[in-house]
Order: sequence, then structure tokens, then C-alpha cells
Amino acid sequence: MSSISSDIIRGYNDTMILYLLWDAPSYGYEISKQIKRLSEEKYVIKETTLYSAFTRLEKNGFVESFSEHVTVSGKRRTYYRITEQGRQYYREKCEEWTLTKEVVEKFVKEGV
Amino acid sequence: METIRNYLETMFARLPNTFEVQKAKDELWQMMEDKYAELIEDKKTENEAVGIVISEFGNLDELADELGISSFVIQENRRTADGFRNVTLAEVKDYLHDKTRAAYAVALGVFLCIVSICGYLLNFGWSWRVRNVFAVSFMFLAVSAAVGLFLFSNYIMGRWKFLGERACSVDFATAEYVHSQREGFRVTRSMMVTIGVILCILSVLPVVIVNSLFGWSSGFGVLLMLVIIGIGVFLFVAAANVNAGFATILSLNARGTVGASFVPSQKQVTYKNERISQVMSVYWQTVTCIYLCWSFLTFDWHITWIVWVVAALVQQIIKAL
Repeated sequence: MSSISSDIIRGYNDTMILYLLWDAPSYGYEISKQIKRLSEEKYVIKETTLYSAFTRLEKNGFVESFSEHVTVSGKRRTYYRITEQGRQYYREKCEEWTLTKEVVEKFVKEGV
Repeated sequence: METIRNYLETMFARLPNTFEVQKAKDELWQMMEDKYAELIEDKKTENEAVGIVISEFGNLDELADELGISSFVIQENRRTADGFRNVTLAEVKDYLHDKTRAAYAVALGVFLCIVSICGYLLNFGWSWRVRNVFAVSFMFLAVSAAVGLFLFSNYIMGRWKFLGERACSVDFATAEYVHSQREGFRVTRSMMVTIGVILCILSVLPVVIVNSLFGWSSGFGVLLMLVIIGIGVFLFVAAANVNAGFATILSLNARGTVGASFVPSQKQVTYKNERISQVMSVYWQTVTCIYLCWSFLTFDWHITWIVWVVAALVQQIIKAL
């Protein structure tokens, strides 16, 4: 069983994050947990990778951050919310992936 | 949890202390904290949880572009290759131990220098010649013992010379340790300084009392005065030197980096002007020198302590320049 090449998946961290923010705002750990769960533990995103993706997405205007008090512990936590531009970007990324997958698929042999 | 905090702080220690860097640190800390809390809830042991959190942290190089520190990371890697020295907690404990021993040795040496002339003040009814021989031998013994103590302190501090010569750093836990040690020493230190000041001010009393009882010819009052001053100065010097040890360690981390702000209450006098700051590096030594010269030349110990008050005021004014 091979592991995921971080070079390849890096371009799609944004897609995963935007997917998870689609319905409701969320925060760092929640997102990394969801990625782990939905990928059936095949992909564990590193904290630094996630943070780097957040800052990049925010800089490009695809997400907005806001800070909120957590009721239980009383500490502040940074939440991220997807923007309209972010949704647009997500759609583009999905199209890009469909195309990429189609092309690469043609060169993949099963059970070689 | 402490381990994780220490890990994160140490990772960030050498980065410049900017808004972006602080923000990144805070956010990464939030994520690590959340993850740790949940792992503990999932009945993982503390060690397992710490292991998982740290192994899934990633690499700060990834953040280089976001934090605007790409050039810094390259420079830092080069510096590490040049032998950037991390001073461990064990070494710091050794250093503080040595520094305390050296501090008391120096203070004792200074005390011996002050009392070395006491031989001249004793009068046991000996002849002039005997008195002279006794006084000179007493002085030589005291001064050579003092020199011995200075050499001894120099010798034990010799192995720590690299702290001033090479680029060194300490990690978060070590800085915390030194900080708590310094806080613990704070009361002792102010006691030592206060008693030292009181002794210097009161040192004229024996002279006045002895002279009013036995007349001006008795050197015994002056002798007592010197011993009392000696004890006072011993306390100053010891307190200042022990404290200097804490300051040395806490100022190892380069200025302007996250590491330099490990200890929140770290008071560092900063001068706006680079030239002034160079001159001011010998300020307190000069003040001490003036104080001792004035005091010993005039023997006005009851008033010379005013030097310290004036010096502190002058420093405040220079800071504002």
C-alpha cells in the first residue's frame, strides 16, 4: 500500500478545505479531522500545511476568517467562512480535477 | 501539554517576532490544543497524544512564504550549519550554579580588598615597627587572598566564555526555568541590596560612637566602619552578580525574535540611539567606580549613596533621548 504523494495532493488541499466549508464555517482542527475521516485515514493533513492553505485562501479572498469565543473553555478560536469567490474557485478546481483525472486515467494500467 | 507548548515555542524561537509569525503560532497552537484534547478524550495516554500531535505538525519551511520569512529561513539554515549553539537546560543549571559560586567569590574578594588596610588601624600597644610589619603583612595576605578569589571565579567561569562569543539560544522550557529562578531570587536580592545600603549609611555610626567614647586617636571606629562597609558592598556585589547570570541566559535569544519574548516580564533597557546604547553598556560599572572613589576619598559614606539615586535618574533621562 503506497501513501499519498504530498506534491500531488498539495494542489487539492484547497479543494478539500472549500468543500468542508461549503455548508457552514469551521475551524482548523475540525477541518483536519474531517479530511482524515472522509479520506478514511488515507490522508492526514499536517498542521503547517493546513495553516499555509488557510492564509493563501484568505489572501486570495476565497475564505474569510473571524474569531469567536468557545463557550466551553472560554478561549478564542479562529473560524473560516467560504466567500462567493471561493465557491467560484471551488467549481473551477472541480472541473480542473475532472479533466486531470480523465487524462491521467488513460495512462493508468490496472494490475500491472 | 507542556511538551507540546515547548515544542511549538522552540520551533518558533528563532523567527522574527512579527504580527504574522505570532498569528501563525497562535493558530497552530489552537489546532494542536484541540487535537490533543480530543486524543485524550479518546482514551489515548498523554505520551501517545503528544507523539501524535508532534508527528502531525509538519514543517515550518512550508510557512516560509506566508510568513514572509523565506529569506530568513535560508539565512537561518546557513547559520545552523555554522554552529548555532543551543544551550540545554542541564547546561543552564550548571551555569547558574557556577555563576553563583563566582559571584560570592568576587564579592568576598572585594570585601577583603576593603578591609585590607585594617591592619594600620589596630593598636595593641605595639611598637611602631611591629605595627608596621603586622599591617603590611595583613594587607598583603588580604589582597593576595582577594586576587586568588578573583582568579578562582575567572577560572570557573572560563568554560562559559562561549556564551558571549558564539550565537547561542535557549528553548522555551529553559527560559521559563531561568525566569522562575530569577523570580525566586528577587526577594533575596532586594533584601541583600537593602541591607547593603543600610549598612553603608550606618557605617559612620561606629566612628562617631567610638570617637566620643575614646577620643579621636582610636582607629577602632574606622576599622569597624570599614568592616561594615565591606559587608554592605559584599551584599551588593553578590546580588548584582547572581542576577547578572539570569540576565545573561535570558538575553541569549536574538533580539526581535519570538525567542526573545519567551519571558514576558523580561525588562530590557533599550536605548533608541545605537551610539548611546554602546556608551551605556559600561554605565553602571562607571557609577560604581565613582561611588567607591568618592566614598573612599572623602569617607562621606553617609551621603555618597546619593550617587545611586542620581545615576538612576540620569539613566531615565538618557533613555528618553
